[in-house]
Amino acid sequence: MPIYILKRLFQALFVVIVVTLLVSYAIRLSGDPTAMLVSGGGAISEADLQRIRAGLGLDQPFHMQYLNFIGGVIRGDFGKSFFGGTPVWTMIAQALPATLLLSFLSLIISFLISIPLGIHAAVKAGSWSDQIIRIFSLIGLSFPNFWLAIMLVLIFSIKFEWLPSSGFLVYQGLVLPCLTLALILSAVNLRIVRTAMLDTLSTQYILVSRAKGLKDRVVLYKHALRNCLIPLLTFVGLQFGDLLGGVVIVERVFNWPGMGSLAFDAISARDYPVLQGTITVLALMIVLTNLAIDLAYGIIDPRIGRK
Amino acid sequence: MKLTGYRNLLFAAALSLLPIATTAAHAAGTLTVALETDDGSWDPIDTFTLTWGRIGSNLYDGLVLRGPDLKLYPGLATSWQFLDDNKRIRFTLRQGVKFHDGEDFNAAAVKFTFDRLLGPEGAKGPQQANYTSIGSVNVIDDYTVDFILKTPDPVLITKLAGYGAMIVPPKYIQEKGDTYFNLHPVGTGAFKFVDYKPKVSLTLEANPDYWGGAPKLSGLVYRFIPEAATQVSELQSGGIDIATLVPISLIDTIKGDPKLEVESITGPDVVMLRFNSADGLTKDPAVRKAMIEAIDRDAIIEQIMQGNAKPIASLQSSLSFGYDPNLKPLPFDPAAAKAALAKAGVKPGTNVELSFIGTNATFREVAQTVAAYLQAVGINVALKSYESNVYYTDLVPHGKTGPLYQYQWGGWTFDFDNTAYLLYHSGQFWNPYIKDAKLDQMLEAQRATYNVDERKKILNQIADYAADQAYEIPLYNSNTLYAVNKRVHNLPPTPDIRFRFVDTTVE
Repeated sequence: MPIYILKRLFQALFVVIVVTLLVSYAIRLSGDPTAMLVSGGGAISEADLQRIRAGLGLDQPFHMQYLNFIGGVIRGDFGKSFFGGTPVWTMIAQALPATLLLSFLSLIISFLISIPLGIHAAVKAGSWSDQIIRIFSLIGLSFPNFWLAIMLVLIFSIKFEWLPSSGFLVYQGLVLPCLTLALILSAVNLRIVRTAMLDTLSTQYILVSRAKGLKDRVVLYKHALRNCLIPLLTFVGLQFGDLLGGVVIVERVFNWPGMGSLAFDAISARDYPVLQGTITVLALMIVLTNLAIDLAYGIIDPRIGRK
Repeated sequence: MKLTGYRNLLFAAALSLLPIATTAAHAAGTLTVALETDDGSWDPIDTFTLTWGRIGSNLYDGLVLRGPDLKLYPGLATSWQFLDDNKRIRFTLRQGVKFHDGEDFNAAAVKFTFDRLLGPEGAKGPQQANYTSIGSVNVIDDYTVDFILKTPDPVLITKLAGYGAMIVPPKYIQEKGDTYFNLHPVGTGAFKFVDYKPKVSLTLEANPDYWGGAPKLSGLVYRFIPEAATQVSELQSGGIDIATLVPISLIDTIKGDPKLEVESITGPDVVMLRFNSADGLTKDPAVRKAMIEAIDRDAIIEQIMQGNAKPIASLQSSLSFGYDPNLKPLPFDPAAAKAALAKAGVKPGTNVELSFIGTNATFREVAQTVAAYLQAVGINVALKSYESNVYYTDLVPHGKTGPLYQYQWGGWTFDFDNTAYLLYHSGQFWNPYIKDAKLDQMLEAQRATYNVDERKKILNQIADYAADQAYEIPLYNSNTLYAVNKRVHNLPPTPDIRFRFVDTTVE
């Protein structure tokens, strides 16, 4: 087992290096930040731009710039933003908790919605309530998240003035962005739970437990649910990347200062150090989350763990 | 239930990582302004964005001060005079002023500010290029300094009212270092720095000892909100008092709210379509003029801009120094345009690319309308949109645009020199196509004289010459738009949105 984990960690490191290399190279192909720095300036000459580029270290060849960045990461120094010189790590330290809070809360809320509803829909397959739940999920799937976000703002912030429409307020400010993400996540997760549950309910061991006279609730939540969690977890691993990326739009609408906003702004402004830093951290997180999920299978399904 | 405990733990852990936000939107005497971008540094020499100027005007002072009426007033200097045939400017400084950290403002601070701006620290930023006419700053006594000029610069006094010329505290910067100063600014301005959260907000408090009188507000919060729709919904729900990003499509929504008002006033921004005048179809001035005549610019102002813009004949608004009310735009005359195109040998159905930046919904409509007008005189326009960074770093400077390309320029100095030099002088970074010795000579001549009437005359000649050559289609001068909650009082209309909140109050 430890050898397996070590192998996986090396794989993770390799993935992160490849991702950062690709991102660093691609962003440099698409322009540099100097034009943004001088936009609105007076008479700017090519010499002025060269001077500013040299100040940012952009006059060095790409491999040197990349090696400097990697060297910095190893020393725990992610460099400074081109725009104002805030240390990148300071920015990430602020944005990462904001994004994690948003994504984990949304995930948890979506579980609380989708697991009971999905199980209900599977048990009562074909009934009226199943139809209604499936229609709800279809609607959720077809909503673009920015539209849902704007609708929620119109209803809860502008019409009723119950909640702030944007901004970084831990309790009230979380409600609308979390609700937006959770509703859309629930729509997908509901279908996964329902399908997995239908599969499980037709297996022999469920028939046996029912024949033994176990209560429905015990059968469903103790025996069947464990089996449904595996496809759901796999999907969450895949979703986690989407979630971290998908929060970009929601973060922008609600002006939530997370990693999505940070990466988005860094791309628009060509702020290489900030982009490299955020991508490194995000890639690491996605890779490690998937590793954690693989290990969790063993806990949920002892048969996997024993292999 | 194990899961619940775990969830609480997770929630508590996540919460403990977060700084608890404190933005009471309607705290007594606090005004909240939404700005589009976070410049990331509050050091005057690091940036040249309009947002920086909006904040910097409240944190710092220049030697001179520009009011919302765009006139120059004494700032940290009480008077100034040009000496030695305009090669030296002597400033008499205001006495008894202190920086926010308590150190004295004096001649040494002025010298330190300009030595820093013109030295290696300033070389890293975009500001240095604007102040290169200053050779050196000499301390005469504690409250007198001399600026020795290398080259004449008739716009210098205006430029001393903003950006890189904002006076900074020498001791503080030497002790704390540049990076610290970027994020913990100290000036002499009406408001003092309290707290900065990157991408979220910048909080200031009133400076009760301000030399221009204590501000009426107790605090000032700038929130960084890049999305226009979010700014407007925050304004409607009372989260902010001033929205500085107001799209034309949302003006009616704001006007429908009894708590809010929209300011739409003449500002510095001019929007144009420039020509590739160096080669191809648009090399011929007759063809360029025909294209201008083919487009009904008044209809664009009325229909798309919904009246929030003014017609222009040159690249400046009526507020700009060098504006000539007698210069009239070419009329809308599709019949004349058709005839001129035929005479120039342009066949009906000729294809032309119009390059533009795709992110602005309003301009996208303008571009589509222009295409329709040109179609009507036999020119097929292919609209091609680009991402803004690619557009400004690659396409325009290297002359890779189509025969027609979008450009817009404001210039906070409200002096035609800034725009004209940048867009007409040969070899300028954002002027890939125009190389004209006569034009260069005129542009340089107006920079070499301090005679106001003489400069105005030359600037008028430059505008006439450019209109005659038809280097671009001047579309319109777009209004400065912002929206304010009616609880804000004593906020004079400010064309450059560089509000100074010294006298402003909130209910």
